This record gives sequence, C-alpha cells and structure tokens, in this order.
Amino acid sequence: MINIVLGLLLRTAVVLTGTAVATFTLLWLAPGDPALAVAMARYDSIVSTEIIDLVRAEAGFDAGFWPAFRAWVFPLLSGDFGRSAVTGRPVLPDLLSAIAYTVPLALAGLAIGLLISLPLAIIATRNPGGLLDRFAVAIASLGTAIPAYWLGLLLILLFAVKLAWLPAMGTRTPLHILLPALTLGLGVAASLTRIIRSGILEARTQSFLPAFKRRGVIDSTIGKDHIAPHAAIPVITVLGLELAFLLEGAVMVEVIFSRPGLGSFLVNAVEARDFPQVQAVVIVAALLFVTINLLIDLIYRVIDPRIGESNA
Amino acid sequence: MRSVITLTILFIVLAVVGPLLAPHDPTAINIPHRLSAPGDEWLLGTDALGRDILSRLLYGARWSLGLAFLISVIGLCIGTLFGLIAALGGKTADWLVMRTTDTFLAFPELVAAVVIAGVLGAGTGSLIFALCVTGWMRYCRVARGVGLTLKTRGYVIQAKLAGMSALSIARWHYLPALLPSLAVVWTGMFARAILGISALGFLGFGVQPPMPEWGTMLLEARLHMRSTPLQMIWPGLAVVMCVLAINLAGDALRDALAKENNAV
Repeated sequence: MINIVLGLLLRTAVVLTGTAVATFTLLWLAPGDPALAVAMARYDSIVSTEIIDLVRAEAGFDAGFWPAFRAWVFPLLSGDFGRSAVTGRPVLPDLLSAIAYTVPLALAGLAIGLLISLPLAIIATRNPGGLLDRFAVAIASLGTAIPAYWLGLLLILLFAVKLAWLPAMGTRTPLHILLPALTLGLGVAASLTRIIRSGILEARTQSFLPAFKRRGVIDSTIGKDHIAPHAAIPVITVLGLELAFLLEGAVMVEVIFSRPGLGSFLVNAVEARDFPQVQAVVIVAALLFVTINLLIDLIYRVIDPRIGESNA
Repeated sequence: MRSVITLTILFIVLAVVGPLLAPHDPTAINIPHRLSAPGDEWLLGTDALGRDILSRLLYGARWSLGLAFLISVIGLCIGTLFGLIAALGGKTADWLVMRTTDTFLAFPELVAAVVIAGVLGAGTGSLIFALCVTGWMRYCRVARGVGLTLKTRGYVIQAKLAGMSALSIARWHYLPALLPSLAVVWTGMFARAILGISALGFLGFGVQPPMPEWGTMLLEARLHMRSTPLQMIWPGLAVVMCVLAINLAGDALRDALAKENNAV
C-alpha cells in the first residue's frame, strides 16, 4: 500500500511540474511585450520606455527564461503566488476569495446533479428498454448536447425575466446561487444519468446474481450489497471527470451570472494579461484536479479489491 | 439510426452549401431594421445591427462545423501518433508519453483553452491551436490502449519475426486495427470541438466579429436578451442540434462495432 501511495504521489509531482513548466513557457512565448502589457494595464495610458523597463526589471522579465522561472517557482513552493501585475496586490487573497465563491457553486451543482440522476437512473433501469428508460436516455443525450452557457441564458430568460421568481445576476443573497447551480447541476445530471444507468445494467449481468436469487436472497439485499458496489466503480471514475466538467461549467456559469468566482477571475486575468494571476489559477486548477484524481485512485483500491497492486 | 445519419449528413451539406442558400449577406448592416421579429423578409429576424440571422447561421455553420472538423482531425493525427509511439516505442517512450498525456489532462480542457487562446491573442489561429493542444489526449490513450493489446497478437509477432520495421508494423497492422475505436473517439471529440469553439466564441476569445460564428452570435445576442429573446435561441439551438446528431451518430457507431466484435 505504501508503495502505491508513493507511486501515485510521484506521478502527481511529475504532472504538477509539467504543468508549471508548460504554463510558464506559454506565457513566456506569448506574443507582445509582457512588460508593456503590464505597464499599460497599470497606468491605463501611453507609458514611457523608462517605465516599461522598470516594470520589466521588477517582474524579472529581463533575466532570461530560467532565472525568471526559478524566481516564480521557488516562492510558489511555499505558497507565495506573487503579486498581481495590474493592481500590485498579492494574488493569494484574491484567489482564495474567488475559490470561496466557486466551491459552494460546484458542490451545489454536484448535489443537484446527483439528486436528479440517481433516482432517474434507478427508475429507468427497473425496466430496461421501457418507456421510462428511453425517456431518461433521451433526456440525458439532450442534456449532454446543451452547452452550459446557453442553458444558463435560457434559465435566466425563464425564471428571472419571464416569471421573475429568482434573481439571476451577482451574489447578493443566498438565493442567487440557485440558478447558476441549477445550470451546472442539469449538465452534471445528464452525463451522470448515462453512466449510472449503464453501470447498473452492467452490474446486473454478473454471473453470481442468479445464484443469490435461487438461494432466496431478497431483491433489495441483492441490489444493495451486490449490484450497487459494482455499479459504483464507473460512477466514481466519472465523478473525477465531472469535476473537470464542474470547473469548466463554473467558468461559463460565473461569467453568465456575473459571480466573482474562479471562472470570472480567470477570464478577467486573461483579458487583462495579468500573468501572475493566470499562472496562479492554472496551478490551483491543476492542483485541485490532480488531488481529486489521486483520491479517486485511492478510493478505487479500497472499494474494488480486484484492482491489483501492480496497477500503481 | 437512419434518421441520425440523415440529420448528420444534412448538417454537413448545410455547412458546405449553406452560404449558397443564404438569402442575405451575413455582414450587411441594416440599422433601420435592427432587432426585427421573424417575418417574410427575415425568416429568423435580424440582430442588433440589422443583419439577417438565418444567413449568419448558415455562414456560421462553416465556421463552427468546419473548424471543429479541422480541430478534431488534427487532434486525431497528433493523438494517434503519440499513442503509437507509446505502444511501440518501449518502456521509456511509453512513460514519457503517458506522463505528458497526464499533464495535459491535468486541467479542465476549457480552462486550458481559455488561457491559451486568450494569452496568444483572440483570433481564429489561436482558437485552433488552443483546442488542438487540449484535444489530442483521448486519442492517444485509446491508441496506446488498443496498441498494447495488439502487441501479443500472433500476426504482429509474426510480422516482427519476419523483419518488418516498427514503422511498417504501425502502418499496416496497428492503424487498421485502431481505426474503429478511433472513429468512435473522433465523433465525441468532433462534438466537443463544436462546443469548445462556441464556448470560446461566447467568452470573446474565439472567432472574431463580424465573422458569424454561433458562439460569437450568442455573445452579441445576450445583450438584447430581454427585448428580443428569440435572437438568442437560434444559435444555441443550432449548436445543440449539431452536437446531439453527432453524439447519437457516435453512439450508433459504437453499438454497431460492439455488435460486430461480438459476432466475430
């Protein structure tokens, strides 16, 4: 077990290092003079060459690729994300407050997704190929094809403009989270329904189930103890992918609903060419993502003893 | 199945000949008739600059579907190449390729695409680059996975013993065996590329105005959502129908292949 954990941690470290190098290289090679962009963003007017040179020296752009990379990475290891190139404020507090908006949204979206997809999939698989089942599959196919930004706009149109039941823009009251969470949740529900449904159907084909049945084990026990664990494995894999979907969805949804979360933070940072902020978001997103996948890998091994130690 | 194929072909035909069917110039500005409701002259109405929405949708199909096709094919080539290198190249190559793939998979595609497209400067070139960079990993994983199972097949071992080079084994034994699974991945990635293009367009990092791309159209329509909600419905509906048709075609393809495998 220790070997597996160490192997997974090593893999995580390699991936994170790769991410850091790739991000930094991209920003380094980006067209245009980054110092000019920073100076323009900071002073909001035409600036003299002395100021540009000053900014360049201050940001370490004049030192060459590797010194600049080291100057960025080593503070990063101790949690210092540097200062915003535009406002000059430390990146970390702003980033944390953005995360504080995104995490509840993502969790609410995930909860809505599970609340819809679990019952729907269980009801649908009662009678595979039946009317309800085909309805669930059709809804799920439609749901995966609808882009989050369009769904969000439609929900705003329906609930905020036509019916005026729910608030749409901003984050003033707790109610403001409902529409964005619903937008995210419906998308999650669509893909989860498909996976849970096929997971249950697949688990039903296990050859030992008829044996339990003939021995007189009641259906609910078979379902709980023998079908559910098997169906859970693909679902857990997909939950990891759902996280990616949630982060992606959050980017779009936050922009549509003007929520000051990680997505808006990213889009604003990219638009302002505020590279320290962009780097921070990318690293945090990668860290989040890799950690979740690491946890999922570990959970796998706990719930599915068949996954051998050799797979590490 | 047949209806799905018909629908998919219909979209492809529309993307190719769409501009011929367009009743108006998609960039012709007509301020007196801005934001007009659907009617005889403008079948789906006009946008904020008085441009005909139907014509813009038809021209936009070329951007959305054409670019998505290009991006998914580039991804297919890159991913297959890397996957084959991983499967055939020995342990070190395999480790390197798979860790690179893991790194690229370590962030959500859209986040990476926004960063790449935004940093390189908004435009069609950066859009294509961004979506290609974030869209080849699935092909690579599938190509490697199937490739590894081929390694122990009799005919591959025979070919090796007969002195065939790794390159020709890859060309004549691996590629044909990989094609069905890659085709299924490709349909999925094609649909994702359509969504990606319109998402970046919607965020303002994609195809730039006045080019009529569906996501960009949505971005413009959003401003007038309250007064003319219909204007926002059309481009979204176009995206949904395309993606749905392609996804269903992909599902049908996968089922057909599974059936064939079972029969053999």
